[in-house]
Amino acid sequence: MDFLSILTPFFFTLVASGTVIGIIFGAIPGMTATMAVAVCLPLTYSLGLENGLALLLGLYVGGISGGLVPAILLNIPGTPSSIATTFDGYPMTQKGEGERALRIAVISSFIGGIISLAALYFFAPALADFAIKFSYVEKFLIIFFALTVMAALSSNMLVGIFSGVLGIFLSLIGAYDISRGGNGELRLVPEFLEYYLESGFSLLPVLIGIFGLATILIEAEDGMKDGKDLSSIKIGKGKRFDFSVFKGQFVNLIRSSGIGTFVGILPGVGGSAASILAYSQQKNFSKNPERFGKGEPSGIMASESANNGLTGGALVPLLSLGIPGDSTTAILIGAFTLQGIQVGPLFIGNNPVTWDAMIIAMLAANIVMLLVMIFAIRYIAKVVMIPKNILFPIILMMCVVGAYTINYGVMFDVWTLLIFGLFGYFAHKIGLEIAPFIIGFILGPSAEIYFVKSIESFGTLSIFFTKSWIAVLLWVLIGLSVWFSITIARKKKKDLVQNGQ
Amino acid sequence: MSLESLLSVSIDFDTSHTVFPTITAVVLGILLVAILATRGRTILATVGSLPWWPAKIDHMRFFGTLVGTVLYFIAMPWVGDFYPNTGLGFYICSIPYLFAMSVLYLHQRDKRHLMIAGLNAVIAPSVVWYLLSELFNISLP
Repeated sequence: MDFLSILTPFFFTLVASGTVIGIIFGAIPGMTATMAVAVCLPLTYSLGLENGLALLLGLYVGGISGGLVPAILLNIPGTPSSIATTFDGYPMTQKGEGERALRIAVISSFIGGIISLAALYFFAPALADFAIKFSYVEKFLIIFFALTVMAALSSNMLVGIFSGVLGIFLSLIGAYDISRGGNGELRLVPEFLEYYLESGFSLLPVLIGIFGLATILIEAEDGMKDGKDLSSIKIGKGKRFDFSVFKGQFVNLIRSSGIGTFVGILPGVGGSAASILAYSQQKNFSKNPERFGKGEPSGIMASESANNGLTGGALVPLLSLGIPGDSTTAILIGAFTLQGIQVGPLFIGNNPVTWDAMIIAMLAANIVMLLVMIFAIRYIAKVVMIPKNILFPIILMMCVVGAYTINYGVMFDVWTLLIFGLFGYFAHKIGLEIAPFIIGFILGPSAEIYFVKSIESFGTLSIFFTKSWIAVLLWVLIGLSVWFSITIARKKKKDLVQNGQ
Repeated sequence: MSLESLLSVSIDFDTSHTVFPTITAVVLGILLVAILATRGRTILATVGSLPWWPAKIDHMRFFGTLVGTVLYFIAMPWVGDFYPNTGLGFYICSIPYLFAMSVLYLHQRDKRHLMIAGLNAVIAPSVVWYLLSELFNISLP
């Protein structure tokens, strides 16, 4: 297929619609970019891969960006990745500079998005070329490394690892896949569910349950309270926006976008870590750190360029290694699966047209996001006022549609949605880490094949240490990530003791 | 016994489906013990000081969502069997479900809000049903 033949007006309409819907999802507290992608996935069934990805990537970019609106206007991060935007955004709103803060945030988001897109374009093919040479041993170690990184960056390392391994365990339910070299025997399935669980739990109902239904249950237990009233806020009363605010912020924007992209590449680490890290770095390097938290524009720039920097970064491991960089890109795997395409080291080489279309879609989504949010910011701001009693029932219905249609009409998938909705709700209650769980669930079957086939081929566990220099390097990286998490945990404990004294 | 022989493992293809689940289950068990050993006291203290679930939650909205959703899931295929391959099971059940959920989540149940909820309950499933079932031929319950 010719690349230019894909770039139809319909393709760009889908990008634009996705971006606008994503912004709306992101702008409503409690609804995230992940939820937007999960709920809209069924709409891509009949669109084909490139058009479907155009819609989903628009949703992703829009969803991450929309979170800045309530973060600045209401002091509530619309998505977790906008958490650090509240620190200086809301104080600016209180000073009557809400519109100025929103414009600064939007432009910073755009810059972060474009820098991370460049990183994706140049870095993913190189990493994929390198990863093509990996055998089952290195592939297993890559997954192991991904899980240790996730665990290292979790709020509690042990709980992070536990969540990841639990995800792997639940992904093993069903038959040991013959098409990938397994023996086709069932395991971990009760007899009365053998008919339904032969292929295990479908990925998408699991994701939609955890990110859609569970979120609504959490809101329901909290009484479905609607957001604060915006009518009393005067967003454009104070100092007006002009581009001179970006003077001297080149290093901040590049560094923060770089941090966002790097954090995005690390599997399972969310945007909240990226925005907080970039914000604290900017504060550390600032000549006036005392201004932070009181309405300092460079704080907003750091946070927003970092969280949009995440978008391109999170696609790097997905498209080069088949490992999702965050929860939203994990759902994108579902879009590829729907069209029968496997993501991994061969993806870019085998699907150059799709790869180019993805880059164009991301670029277009960033431009649409910039234009829509700059010119329609006052209207977008009103989105945060849409009542939850109207929106959430629609989301519930869309969750059902998504779960039912994924395997062309299986009612058990709808029940899976409910099971994992409840699981997500209780996981939230007891503090299980959802990102490692999801990535464990997605990578579990591959980890099993790589591990078992490595042992079957070589007959010794030592092969995981001696296969190649890459294996040794991966063990060094695994060791470093464990060491890093232990150091962080000790530092936290020390700080707690000091604060206690 | 050399290190090499200690590390050597052979997997029987017929039982290979149990190898990884067993390892994963053992690792899960070890992690659970480690979590309880390192954070057991904190967990016990937290559990002891908190009101037991489901105290202090909005019972009506939480359990209403659950019960409504289960009934919706049961009703859809049942109704759908009367009109096979039309997606009407989804359409017919979604209207009362959306209305019930909208009313359940409302804080102010006056005429105006109920009317908006009613309109939403009719329009949203109609649009989704028409788009997916009629236009894109996607199967619905």
